[in-house]
Amino acid sequence: MRPFRYLACASVEEACAALRAHAGRARVLAGGTDLLLELRRGDGPAPEVMVDISRLEELRGIVAGNGTLRLGPLARHAELAASEPVRRRAGLLAAAAGAVGSPQVRNRGTVGGNVMNAATCADTVPPLVALGARLTLRSAGGSRELDIADFFERPYVTRARPDELLVAIEFPALPPCARSAFVKLGRRNALSIARLSVAAVVDRDASGRITDARIVPGAALPVWKRAREAEAMLVGQAPSEALFAAAGRRTAELMIGETGRRWSSEYKEPVLAVLVRRALEACC
Amino acid sequence: MDKLTLHATINGRAVTVETEPHHTLLDLLRDTLGLTGTKRGCEVGECGACTVLLDGVAVNSCLVLVPQVEGRRVTTVEGLAEGEMLSSLQEAFLDHEAAHCGFCTPGMLMSAQDLLDHNPAPTEQEIRAAISGTLCRCSGYVQIVEAIQDAAGRRRGTGDKARG
Repeated sequence: MRPFRYLACASVEEACAALRAHAGRARVLAGGTDLLLELRRGDGPAPEVMVDISRLEELRGIVAGNGTLRLGPLARHAELAASEPVRRRAGLLAAAAGAVGSPQVRNRGTVGGNVMNAATCADTVPPLVALGARLTLRSAGGSRELDIADFFERPYVTRARPDELLVAIEFPALPPCARSAFVKLGRRNALSIARLSVAAVVDRDASGRITDARIVPGAALPVWKRAREAEAMLVGQAPSEALFAAAGRRTAELMIGETGRRWSSEYKEPVLAVLVRRALEACC
Repeated sequence: MDKLTLHATINGRAVTVETEPHHTLLDLLRDTLGLTGTKRGCEVGECGACTVLLDGVAVNSCLVLVPQVEGRRVTTVEGLAEGEMLSSLQEAFLDHEAAHCGFCTPGMLMSAQDLLDHNPAPTEQEIRAAISGTLCRCSGYVQIVEAIQDAAGRRRGTGDKARG
């Protein structure tokens, strides 16, 4: 690994000042589970400065209140997976966090890192998109908020500026009766990258008809989005295998529409459709 | 580049050592401190051979930069025994022949240690989940799981905890 200058930050302000001072030549270190791989590969210009934010208490934490959940970017995947408020009111996110890598990776990797790294296979992003998360970015010049659905330019590239730090992820808690699911397909049952994933939410009224449906495929599209047409097929309907299968096929059509036919499409198209059906069934 | 003086507790002992910020905890343990029980496998967090406990939880030491160890507690496989006395977890691994080539064994032991320290009566499923971050190419995992189940029972008798 190429050497770099190391900076331990005592505050968010210090971290932002460092990112501004070393514009473009600094990297932010939190859990390190993606960053160290990148450093080892040696892609791109070597970072001159490593800005370590991992000890900033103000960036930790999972806070539930007023019908919202607010995550510090340093919340580790293991913490999210075990968190009672996340499991209860954002179950798909707890499931996704619990599916990242391995126990060892989950004990270090952070949700903020997962979002900022913006890998197409990121596990926590589809749930955050389904939850309608808002991101708060801070820099030496101030703060701004973005919807997560507008945050990604293309794989591995976010719309954050090089001098900005992600400081909060916030989303409305799911209604108490809503059900959610996250399904992940990888080459192994653990220690694997998602080849495809699906985040889903289904809410129904007293008669069992679907009132809200959210479907976000992962490792499928160039940037994450809700499969709106597939969702629209479900609203007002009673759940059924045939209905969910049709929504699955519509989601797969969305994928093909966005990516075109690729070498992997012959596999991914029918498989994504099935994963969507399974995710929706898990919600009912 | 910058040198770094690291202060940490390794297997219960306070350690002060000169290193550099771009070194990993794995490099420090093996190359600087001569603690070669922790293995270098993939170095990308995909095999678990380098697993140690950092402040009591299992992590891939290949993915921890040394500055992040400042002031922290590290436990390696060398920290499980008390002198010549193996822990009940290690005894169980021996009794069940859970080590074949032995390369994954330190990682397995440390993941098992984390599990048993936090969940003294794990189910088989919980054991399998706890070791899911360490790959074994020899054993098919059966004897490792049995050893951990056995160790859980033995520990409830003796109250073993690793140093560090």
